[in-house]
Amino acid sequence: MRLLNRVRSWWRGIFQRSLVQNEMEAELQFHVEARAEELVQSGVPRAEALRRARLEFGGMEGAKEECLEARGASWLDNLMQDLRYGTRTMMRAPGFTTMAVLALALGIGANTAIFSVVNAVLLRPLPYDQPDKLVQLWHVPPQATFPGIAEFPVSPANFLDWRSQTQSFEGMSAYGRGSYTLTGNGEPETFRMIAVTDGMFSILHARPLLGRGFVSGEDEPGHEQEVVLSYGVWRRRFAGNPDIVGKNITLNARAFTVIGVMGPDFEFPISTDPSLQAQMWKPLAWSDQDRAVRDNHNYAVVARLKPGVAVKQAQNELDGISNRLAQEYPSENKGWGAIAVPLRDDLVGDVRPALLILLGAVVLVLLIACANVANLVLVKALTRRKEQAVRVALGATRRRLLQQALAETLLLALAGGALGLVFAHYGVILIVKFLAQRLPRSSEISLDGWVLAFTAGISLLAGFAAGLAPAFRAAKTDVNEALKQGLGRATSDSGGSRTRDLLVVSEVALSLMLLIGAGLLIRSLWMLHQVNPGFEAAQVVTMEVAVPIGKFTEPAQQIGYFNRVLDRIRTLPGVQAAGLIDSLPLSDNGSMQPIAVEGRPPVAMADMPEVDVRLISPGYLGAMHLPLLEGRGVDDSDVAGRPGAVLISESMAKLFWPNESAIGKRLTLYFFPDQPRVVVGIVGDVKLYAVNETQRKATLYFPVAQLTAPRGAAFQSFGMNLAVRTGAAPVNMASTVGLAIHEVDPGIPVQNVRTMDEMISESLSPQRFTMLLLGAFAGLALLLAVVGIYSVTSYSVSRRTNEMGIRVALGARRTDVLMLVIRHGMMLALIGSVIGIAGALLLSRVIRSQLFGVQPTDPATFVAAACGLMIVVLAASYIPARRAMRVDPMVALRYE
Amino acid sequence: MSKQMDLLQGTLDMLILKATSLGPLHGYGILLRIGQISKDRLEIQQGSLYPALYRLEHQGWITSEWGESENKRRAKYYRLTAAGKRRLQAETEKWNRMTDVIAGILETRPEEV
Repeated sequence: MRLLNRVRSWWRGIFQRSLVQNEMEAELQFHVEARAEELVQSGVPRAEALRRARLEFGGMEGAKEECLEARGASWLDNLMQDLRYGTRTMMRAPGFTTMAVLALALGIGANTAIFSVVNAVLLRPLPYDQPDKLVQLWHVPPQATFPGIAEFPVSPANFLDWRSQTQSFEGMSAYGRGSYTLTGNGEPETFRMIAVTDGMFSILHARPLLGRGFVSGEDEPGHEQEVVLSYGVWRRRFAGNPDIVGKNITLNARAFTVIGVMGPDFEFPISTDPSLQAQMWKPLAWSDQDRAVRDNHNYAVVARLKPGVAVKQAQNELDGISNRLAQEYPSENKGWGAIAVPLRDDLVGDVRPALLILLGAVVLVLLIACANVANLVLVKALTRRKEQAVRVALGATRRRLLQQALAETLLLALAGGALGLVFAHYGVILIVKFLAQRLPRSSEISLDGWVLAFTAGISLLAGFAAGLAPAFRAAKTDVNEALKQGLGRATSDSGGSRTRDLLVVSEVALSLMLLIGAGLLIRSLWMLHQVNPGFEAAQVVTMEVAVPIGKFTEPAQQIGYFNRVLDRIRTLPGVQAAGLIDSLPLSDNGSMQPIAVEGRPPVAMADMPEVDVRLISPGYLGAMHLPLLEGRGVDDSDVAGRPGAVLISESMAKLFWPNESAIGKRLTLYFFPDQPRVVVGIVGDVKLYAVNETQRKATLYFPVAQLTAPRGAAFQSFGMNLAVRTGAAPVNMASTVGLAIHEVDPGIPVQNVRTMDEMISESLSPQRFTMLLLGAFAGLALLLAVVGIYSVTSYSVSRRTNEMGIRVALGARRTDVLMLVIRHGMMLALIGSVIGIAGALLLSRVIRSQLFGVQPTDPATFVAAACGLMIVVLAASYIPARRAMRVDPMVALRYE
Repeated sequence: MSKQMDLLQGTLDMLILKATSLGPLHGYGILLRIGQISKDRLEIQQGSLYPALYRLEHQGWITSEWGESENKRRAKYYRLTAAGKRRLQAETEKWNRMTDVIAGILETRPEEV
C-alpha cells in the first residue's frame, strides 16, 4: 500500500505537476490568511496583518521547493527539467541540432539495418521445434580425389547404415529434389518436389495443417504415390479447398493422393532463394537395388539429436561408424567420412563472415558519429561556458551539470534513433531487394521487437558515448577562469581543444580503416570482373528445358527429343549457335564422377580420381565460345553405337597426361561403364561453380547422344540447359526460342531463362553487395570525419581571428596564415592516418575470406585510401583557412 | 513572554503525527495544536511545517483531503493513517526509552561512576 502511495505521489508530481502546485499555492495561501485573520481579530489592521503573517512564515518559494522535493520525485523532476531545457536549446540552434541528429541517425540507422539482417539470419531461431537439436549430415569425401571439397551428398546405403547404427539421433531422414509437373487441373505447372524418407516430418516435429505426414512404410516402393502440399500451393492452385485431403492429383502423368497440407510457416529445406522454396513433399521410395547403392552420392540428410546429446558426441559416433564402413566396404567407402553440422551453420555458414564484417563496420560508423557529435557539443558548450560558470557560482553541483550535459546528448541520440529507424526501414528494403536470392531467410528480415530494443539500446549508448567528453568538460568548469573572461569570447581553452583534436584524430583513424576495408573489397570485385570465366558470356541466353522424371523411359527417346529441339532452334533467324549442357557453368549444380584411365593399374572405386563430368550436345562449344585447344569438338557423328568420344579440359589433360598429348587416350567413366571413351579434344578451363573459385576444375564433357542408363540403376529422364548465341539482344530471343521448344513438345516446361551475363553477375552478387555496403559505410564515415575536421578548423579560425589580424598587421603573408590553419588540420589527419593504417593492418586479416586476388595488406589500397582521405581533409580545412586568410587586420583587431 | 525552545532535529515529524492523532487538522491548525499542547514553549518554523507534511504524506503516515474550515473556507485537512498510528506508537516508545537513557546518563553523579 505504501508503495502504491509513493507511486501515486510520483505520478502526481510528474504528470499533474501544475495541479499539485496549484494545491500547494492554495494551501499556503490559506495558512497565511488564517494567521492574518487571527492578527486582525487581535486588533492589527488588515494590510499590516497580512504583511506580518508572510514575514512569520518565512521564505515561501523555498518552502514550495522543499515540499516538491519531499515528494521524492526530485530526480525525475530534474531529469524532466533537463530534458525540457535540452529541447529548448536544441530548438534554438537548429543548424547544430540537424547536424548532430543527422550524424547519429545515419550511424544508428546503419546499425539497425545491419542488425535486423543479423537478427533474422544469424540470431532468430530456425522455424522448427527445438531447432538447435537439428543437424545436417554430410559425407566428407577423401581429399586426395576431392581437393577442397569439405561436404558431399550421401549415398543411400551409407545413409541407411548411419540410421541403423547410430544412437545419438532421435531420427534421421534423407531427401532429394526433383520437379514434378501437375496436369489435369488448369494449365500444366511444374513444382519443386522434395522426396523424403518417412521420418522427415517427425524429425522436424512438424504437424500438417490438414491431413497427415508420411508414416513408416510409405517410403516402400509401390506406396509412394502420395504427396503433401505446401500452404502456398494449396491456396493458389487448389483454392484452399478444405476437402483436398484424400483427393487424387496428376503429377508427371501419374496419380498421387494428397494426404496432407503444411501450415503457412513450414519450410523445408530452407532455401537461400525464396523463389526456390519446396512446394510439395513425396516419399522417397528406394527399391532394393537403390538401397544397396553405396557409391553414388545424391542425397542430403537431416537428423535430430536426442535430448542431452551434443553435436560433438554425435560426431564421434559418426566417425566411428565411418571407419567401420570404410573397412567393410573399402572399394566404395575408403577415405569417406561423415560430418554433423548444426542446421543453422549449414544454412548461414557462408554469409556469417560477411554479415559480421558489416556489423563491425557499422559499429565503427556509429563511433565516428558519436565522436562527431561530441565535438559539435564541445564547440557549442564553449559558447555557454559563462552560463555554466554562473550556475556553478550559484551552487549547482558537479553532478547536476554532468547530468544536464548528458541529458542533452541523450536527447539528440533519441531523436537520432527515431530518425535512424526511418533510415533503417528503407535500408532493410534495399538490402532485402539486393540479397533476396543469396541470403537464407531474407523474407524474415524486419524491424521487430528485438531490433527496436537494439536501436533503443544503442541510441542510449550513443547518447552516453557522445555526451561523456562534453559532460566532463562541463563539470570541470572553472568558475573564476570563466567569469574573468567576461562576456567576450573565450580566448584560451587548451584542455578543450586537446579533447577536440583527439576526437578528430580518432574519427580520421576509424574512417581510414573503413576506407581501406572498402578499398580492398572494391579491388577484389574488380579482380573478379577481370577473371576470364573460360567462355564468352555476351550474347548468350540460357534456359532450362525441364524434362520431367519419367517422361522418357529410354535414353534414345530423350536423345531424340533434344535433337528435335536443337534442329528446330537452329532454323530460327538470329540464332548463331545452340547447344545443350546438363549443368551450366556458375550454377550450383554439377556432378563429380570417378574415372579409370586405360593402361593404368585398376584401383577400387574409392581410390579412383574424380573429375567433374558434364553432358553436352554438339553446338555447345560454339554457343559458349569455349575455346577448342586441341583435337575436335563433339559433332553429329558421336552417337550411340559409335566409339565413345569425350572432351577434356586443359587442366584435366595436364593432370592426367602432363608430358604427352591427351588426344587419343582412352578412359572409362565409373557410372557409365558400357564402353571406354576416347579423348577427341581438349577445351579451355571454365569456372564451373563460382567466378572466385581458385582451383581449376578438371572437367570431362561427353556427348548426350552417347548417354546410357547409369551403373546399377534404371534410366530416368532429366532436363538439360539450352545455351543459345544470338546476333540480336539475347533477351529478345528468349521468348522465340521458348515458343519453338514448346512446339516440339508442349508438355515440357521451359524455365529459368537467363543470359550468361546475368549468371556471372548473380554469381558475384554477394561480393558486390558486401562491397557496396562497406563502401557506403566508408563513405558515410569519411563524410562524418570531414564534418568533424571542418567544424574544428572553422572554430579554431574564428577563435584566432584576432591573432591572424595581428600576424597580418605585423607583415605575415596571407599564404603564411593559410598554411598555419591548414597545417593544424593536416597534422590531425596525418596522426589519424598513421593510427588508422596500423588499425587496418591489424583488422584487415578479418576480411581475408572476402577478398579475391588482393592481399589484406595490399599497399596500393592502403596508400590510395590514405591519400584520398588526406585530399578530402585538405579540402575541409582549406575552406575555413581561406576565411582566415581574408581577415582584415583592422576588423580583426577591433574585434575583441 | 515565556521562553521558547528550538525544535530538536527530527522531532517535528513526531509532533505532527501526535497532533493529527487527535483528529483531522489543516496545516495552520496543526501549528496551533502543537502550540496549544506545548503551551507555546516550542517554536516551529512555519516554513518547515509544510515540507514535513508533504514528506509524511509521501511516506503514507498521513493522508490529506480538501474540506471546509471553521470560517467556511477551503482548506486541506490532514488525517493520521493506520500506518501512521503504528508509527507514532513506535516513535513514542523509542523517544521514551531514549529520554530515559539520556536522563539517566545526565543525572549520574561522579561518585556513581
